[in-house]
Amino acid sequence: MGGHTDVDGLQRIGVKFYLSETPPLDAVIPVFHRWIQTAAVEGMLIDIADYSHVPDGPGVMLIAHEGNYAVDLNGGRPGVLYYRKQALAGDLDQRVRAVCAAALRAAALLEGEASLGGVKLRGDELQIFANDRLLAPNDGATEAAFAPVLTGLLDRLYAGAPRQLCRDQDPRRRFNVDVKAERGADAATLLQRLTA
Amino acid sequence: MKTWKDELEGRMPADWATEIDLFENQMELRRQGKVEEKLFAETRLRRGAYGQRYDNGQRNDGTGTKALAYPNGALTKGPDTIWDAPGMQRIKIPFGGLNPDQMDVLADLAEEYSDGICHVTTRQDIQLHYVHFDDTPSLLRRLAAIGITTREACGNSVRNVTACPLAGVCRDESFDVTPYANASMKFLLGHPDVQDFGRKFKIAFSGCRQHACGLVNMHDMGAIAVTREIDGETVRGFELYVGGGLGAVPYDAVLFDEFVREDEILPITQAISRVFARLGEKRNRARARIKFLVKNLGMEEFKRLVLEERAKLPHDDRWAAYLDELPSHGEKPLKVGASLNGAARPEGFDAWCETNVYRQRQPGYCVAAVTLPLGDITSHQLRELAAIARRYVGESVRTTVEQNIVLRWVSEADLPQLYEELRALGLSAPGAGSIVDVVSCPGTDTCKLGIASSRGLAGELQSRLAAKAMELDKAVRDMRIKISGCFNSCGQHHISDLGFYGVSRNVGGYTVPHFQVVVGGKWVDNGGSYGLPIGAVPSKRIPDVVTAMTDAYLRERQGQETFQEYTQRVGKKALKDKLAPFTKVPAREEDASFYSDWGDPREFTIGDMGTGECAGEVVSLVDSDLSLAEAMVFDSQLALENGDFTAVADKSYQAMLQGAKALVKMRFLDITDDPDQIVAEFKQRYYDTEIFFDRFGGGRFGQYLFRRHEQKEQPTDTAAGRQLVEEASLFVEACHACSAKLAAQGSTAQGGAAEGVTSTVVTLEL
Repeated sequence: MGGHTDVDGLQRIGVKFYLSETPPLDAVIPVFHRWIQTAAVEGMLIDIADYSHVPDGPGVMLIAHEGNYAVDLNGGRPGVLYYRKQALAGDLDQRVRAVCAAALRAAALLEGEASLGGVKLRGDELQIFANDRLLAPNDGATEAAFAPVLTGLLDRLYAGAPRQLCRDQDPRRRFNVDVKAERGADAATLLQRLTA
Repeated sequence: MKTWKDELEGRMPADWATEIDLFENQMELRRQGKVEEKLFAETRLRRGAYGQRYDNGQRNDGTGTKALAYPNGALTKGPDTIWDAPGMQRIKIPFGGLNPDQMDVLADLAEEYSDGICHVTTRQDIQLHYVHFDDTPSLLRRLAAIGITTREACGNSVRNVTACPLAGVCRDESFDVTPYANASMKFLLGHPDVQDFGRKFKIAFSGCRQHACGLVNMHDMGAIAVTREIDGETVRGFELYVGGGLGAVPYDAVLFDEFVREDEILPITQAISRVFARLGEKRNRARARIKFLVKNLGMEEFKRLVLEERAKLPHDDRWAAYLDELPSHGEKPLKVGASLNGAARPEGFDAWCETNVYRQRQPGYCVAAVTLPLGDITSHQLRELAAIARRYVGESVRTTVEQNIVLRWVSEADLPQLYEELRALGLSAPGAGSIVDVVSCPGTDTCKLGIASSRGLAGELQSRLAAKAMELDKAVRDMRIKISGCFNSCGQHHISDLGFYGVSRNVGGYTVPHFQVVVGGKWVDNGGSYGLPIGAVPSKRIPDVVTAMTDAYLRERQGQETFQEYTQRVGKKALKDKLAPFTKVPAREEDASFYSDWGDPREFTIGDMGTGECAGEVVSLVDSDLSLAEAMVFDSQLALENGDFTAVADKSYQAMLQGAKALVKMRFLDITDDPDQIVAEFKQRYYDTEIFFDRFGGGRFGQYLFRRHEQKEQPTDTAAGRQLVEEASLFVEACHACSAKLAAQGSTAQGGAAEGVTSTVVTLEL
């Protein structure tokens, strides 16, 4: 990590795995309620926040104590989002992988929800972000400090396939990197690679 | 590790930084158990850090009430409020004024600590939801660094000072009230004389009498700008009102003085605060707002006490210091004002202009309203809106009580380009201030007091109305809809054409979400008169009610009659008749959708239901009795409409007795019609046992009955009559809630069968 201690301490990590199309948001609400009933995804699940009325907004969120899940529409692109609010164990590499795994487990479950019309992960695109402007401002230093972790993550996820990375350079925005790989995979495969 | 405290050192006002440090220390002491939880709750609330729904660690997930296993479930931040449970952070925005730097930071805070949404409230505040309490000190520091404090955003003190968002640019105002609102906020913030109130105190400023934007009539203290010619000079002052308020029982503000000179507005406010602190109710929260003090004392005596207090106040330079700066006050437009002058008009632009653009009194300039659905704006949108503001208007941005944001000082020539940029952000929806622009409090989404889903209903109505907005007659388009999740009126349902507030009804052993339909409210004239409920309708039928009411209005209106004038003319009975087709709830087997709320598939009821036949009969009896009580409340409304105050007093009292009797009958079938016996039995069985108590309001509604029983009040005017009707309505609603609570608990009799009922009939026990 090149001794960049601030980024090392980063806990508020998030990831969005893009979906091939937007599922019907009104159908996502009962799915998330059922997930709470069955504790289908990790975390202490609390409630649903419905922002489907907001254009290109957070969509429908599943609020948990440790982090929030969402079928998110920010940026005009649907995706399965998970971002962490509470501290995770392990080093930054482990924390990033844990966040991605949580999102992929949720994505895999969503793919299996018949009421969502067969929604699929694109599998070759994601956005990873640091939701903490203090420890990880959106600048080159954060990018450099984060690069080894990101490389390790993407090597695992995409099995070494070539990929393009694009950091949003707008300093007002949180640090975020869009990734597009040449070869993708479904959620279950990505998850298996990540946790292998 | 870096901290925001270190990072922002020297960038926050020193006193604010110290206050936040102290607050952080108090948090630590509470963690260590060294601060009592009630005391800490008030400390926290005075920082605007609220609790939120499910923070007691329990939630019905649709299959039953389940514990939410927070990691540190034993630590509380107030009574029945778990520390780890996410809460709501209210952020005061005095007079709604924002600058782009503040917007940027608010966007960041929503993203990092909340759910990526900033919510604009009906009092020009911003609220962030699902905030973890441990994040609060950092959040407050980041706000302090941009000149925003959350101090006294809640708690028993002076809340956000609001003002008309058009102040300074309005074509009809007497003068710009902005500097006065700002001076009031600064003067009162943390002032020793506002720290010992029994309840909150809300202040509003308006530049005129006739428009709604200031809503003076519904405030604890409201000031309307007026001028007078004195000795040949134009002197600024305020028509000052005190004692207004919505809440469960709305009160019209009472005229305190026709003309308080500008240099007297702060000392008079201070004197009012002292009288309120000294004489206002402290123990009974339900009667602690200043409206009750004004009513009890009468305005004449109240004013005498205030002026007496004013005479004793030690001089304070701050009373008038800001007046010296008035000549230099005013926003500086960023661009030169220029007309559109035949510029190309993008698609949708004209419709947007019609509802969202207001021509300022300054030639060549406009105010552009950004319509926010349900008051919500994403972090991305807010950040980009800040960038737009920088390009077009500089610092002239304000939030509105209709949950929108306005950009002021837009050069008219820039409107098409501005529209295009807003459209790219999804912020160009037309319909600001129209029937499409539905206002709603958070309701059951996040509020602990919410009964029904106000936001769910608002979203549904907004989506249906927007789809046919262009086809709507202008008379209907100009109407307003406001929705509250409960009777507490945060959605301001009393001052809209069609208002709704959430209630529930027991149907066949299930709790069904309903909304009371409120008509007759007046939005103009600073919220000039309040509507009254005319009946409860199942939540899922409210869209049909809106259609039926607006259709009837168009069919039956005379001339240019507004909806409010129409409701006054046709009367409440005729309006209630129009609700009749929508009040029936189909059996659950027939249509289960009625038994869940908008946007929430969970069964609305709590707990396992008692479905035994005999219990069902008893429940049916109580429902039938309560329905009669409702009808009696409505009779009292008709009496009020006819100006028959004697009948108002009698019928509203009888309605309360009927409600109380209905509950008593669940446990004591032989109850007679003797009022003394009904009240005594009700008190013994429901009040003293606290079974009747509302979780948050305690026994307030029961006290309405006791007071009426003891005092036999006779109203002498419409306002007093309306209060009796409102109280009767709330009491009967509380009876419904109590009955539903008992049904949900599976009991008609605590610990056993009702007297007079064989033990085989009532089978359910607590």
